[in-house]
Amino acid sequence: MMKKILNSIGNYFKEFGTAVAKGDIWVKLSLIWMGAGYIARKQIINGIIMTLLEAVFTIMCVGYAAPNLAKFGTLGTVQFEQVFDPLTLTSTVNDYDNSFLILLNSIISLFLIVVFVIVYIANVKTVYRLQQTKENGRHINNFREDIRALFNEKFHITLLTLPCIGVVLMNILPILVLIAVAFTNYDQQHMPPSALFTWVGFKNFKSLFTNSTTITFGYSFGKILIWTLEWAVLATFTTYIGGILLAKFINNKATKWPKFWRTLFIIAIAVPQFVTLLLVRNFFADSGIVNTICANIGLTDFLKKIGLVASHLTYIPFLTDPNWAKIMIVLINIWVGVPYQMLIATGVLMNIPEDQIESARIDGANSFQIFAKITMPYMLFVTGPALITDFVKNINNFNVIYLLTQDVFVTSDQMLANSNAKEVDLLVTWLFRLTNEYYNYKMASVIGIFVFIICAAFTLITFTRTIKGDKEDQFR
Amino acid sequence: MKKQVRFVLRHVVLLLLAVIWLVPIVWLVVTSFSGYKGINTAHFFPQTWSLDNYITLFLKPDSVVQYQAWFTNTLVIAIFTCIISTVLVLMVAYTMSCLRFKGRKGLMSFSIILNMFPGVLSMIAVYFILKSLGLTNSHVGMIIVYSAGAGLGFLIAKGFMDTISVSLREAARLEGASEAQIFWKIVIPLSKPIIVYTVISSFLVPWGDFVFAKLILNSGISSDWTVAIGLYNMLNKSLINKYFSIFCAGGVVVSIPISILFVIMQKFYVEGITGGSVKG
Repeated sequence: MMKKILNSIGNYFKEFGTAVAKGDIWVKLSLIWMGAGYIARKQIINGIIMTLLEAVFTIMCVGYAAPNLAKFGTLGTVQFEQVFDPLTLTSTVNDYDNSFLILLNSIISLFLIVVFVIVYIANVKTVYRLQQTKENGRHINNFREDIRALFNEKFHITLLTLPCIGVVLMNILPILVLIAVAFTNYDQQHMPPSALFTWVGFKNFKSLFTNSTTITFGYSFGKILIWTLEWAVLATFTTYIGGILLAKFINNKATKWPKFWRTLFIIAIAVPQFVTLLLVRNFFADSGIVNTICANIGLTDFLKKIGLVASHLTYIPFLTDPNWAKIMIVLINIWVGVPYQMLIATGVLMNIPEDQIESARIDGANSFQIFAKITMPYMLFVTGPALITDFVKNINNFNVIYLLTQDVFVTSDQMLANSNAKEVDLLVTWLFRLTNEYYNYKMASVIGIFVFIICAAFTLITFTRTIKGDKEDQFR
Repeated sequence: MKKQVRFVLRHVVLLLLAVIWLVPIVWLVVTSFSGYKGINTAHFFPQTWSLDNYITLFLKPDSVVQYQAWFTNTLVIAIFTCIISTVLVLMVAYTMSCLRFKGRKGLMSFSIILNMFPGVLSMIAVYFILKSLGLTNSHVGMIIVYSAGAGLGFLIAKGFMDTISVSLREAARLEGASEAQIFWKIVIPLSKPIIVYTVISSFLVPWGDFVFAKLILNSGISSDWTVAIGLYNMLNKSLINKYFSIFCAGGVVVSIPISILFVIMQKFYVEGITGGSVKG
């Protein structure tokens, strides 16, 4: 695997070398003037496009990339200063450096430079190929034929251009910025434009594993990581199994009106999640309706007696006590997730080969055995990859945790509070609070990188098998 | 006799489960018709009934409730998002499913991993990129946030297109059709179920998201908001006692169109998921 990648990288540069070495004067001229090779083969329009591209890139480099990259090493040195002139009653601001903009613009510049280098190398190779085509006396496409090729054998380029631009803008650049910020001291004390921030190396990574009287990130990170994984496992399996059982229950021949029952459950999840979750949070509030009912029927007192509710409380702390809240979140998530899984399971269960179940029944298997030996393996086979996707989604299940606990749950653990964390936080909600409320971008970025590594690892395990398995063409 | 007991028992259990699942929804609906503004913590059903909450919602907007504006904003954002997202998803799905080119598998693995990167993490950077483009506090910015990365969510549509018979495309190619024509005239018409799924699911995104909306529409001008942030704002500690039942009414109103779309969508969703995975 590794060797294959290295090989293809080697070939990539070898082809470039060959093109430069064996190319004629026009190919060599293309190293400086990118349009040269095309114009020599009478591909005038291509030549003009490449020349323009080169010109635009040069202007970009001088006007945009160079000034930003020059400050990239320090992320700016000129502090923001405002001078108030009492005579004119206006204040003047000096020509200050904005560290974040320098960082952002430098990353965009570096990205554009990398893209340009790739285009540049490809350009030389193409021009060399044109030379060979001409030497062999074969036909060279004119511009109209080139355009037509974009809708035929090169159609993938046409189709992928726009999606790629979108993904670069919304996914790749933000990730690069995030990674860069993890190596700076960008936080509330270093907020542009009024203050500068700068590179600090691996300091933030170190503090994520430090546990001292002043820094408690190590403690919080360990606690929250464990709860995040516990939550992801619990949330995924409870809803998955619950969904299958519910689907089997409803689809059983003994059940009347299966469609009606299914619709009832779908109604519950068709309401937007933020509405139901915010509603449920008030439903289970300390002075909410459920607590009133529990007090009236004596459940609160009973729970006090057996020690599940602390004796000084007059209510059940559904969403305010760490242990109660964790259990409630998992239960509420079952409420949210089971109908979804039921829908999917219904679809899959309909495809189970009926004859297998029939023959097992004839052999004397009871329904539990059939479920464990036939239904479940089949379900796992079909929905296995989706299960891992669900697991990763649950690691990042922002909505359920945030909407249920934000403004409601207050931690009493001083160590967690020191690093702005709570017992019920997932890594993503912790990160969100760090940025949104405490402007601690540096630590949020470090946590973000870890979340990404965890998610990517789980995804890789499943999808390398599905993609590399090359099963795509088998069934057509 | 034993059979009858089992039959009754089975349906009692189902009924019980259904009640558990519907209690919050029923509470939402009855509270929206209640005669007072705050949360009723003493009784499940309101003591007095009225339509006031709906009237405030539609006819008497105040500084907090701008429901019509929110609804229109969200609708406009949702329409553009769903058009752009669907186009992007179909383009990528077709490329990955039907075209063969160098680096296809690498690109596919890369985008699947990239898609796993949760949006919440890159939020700050997205915000600053939009800010430097001058697109914060604008609906164009929201549309970009919701739709620009949509191409990464191609997997379900690709799974569906994988099931379209390859011989159809071969035949068209023999007749001299270009790849673009095959895309338009053969694959797109055959992909109707998955197009419906993609359209509806991307249409629903702006209705459900409040994280990005809150971040980008941060000027505090409530007529610029989407339904999600508007409703979320009503549950502020200082507002909840005056606006809780209006929140419920707003929730009911937004739920009606969304539930209908959701029910249509889930049919195609199951088809897309199972169709894709069963056939490979």
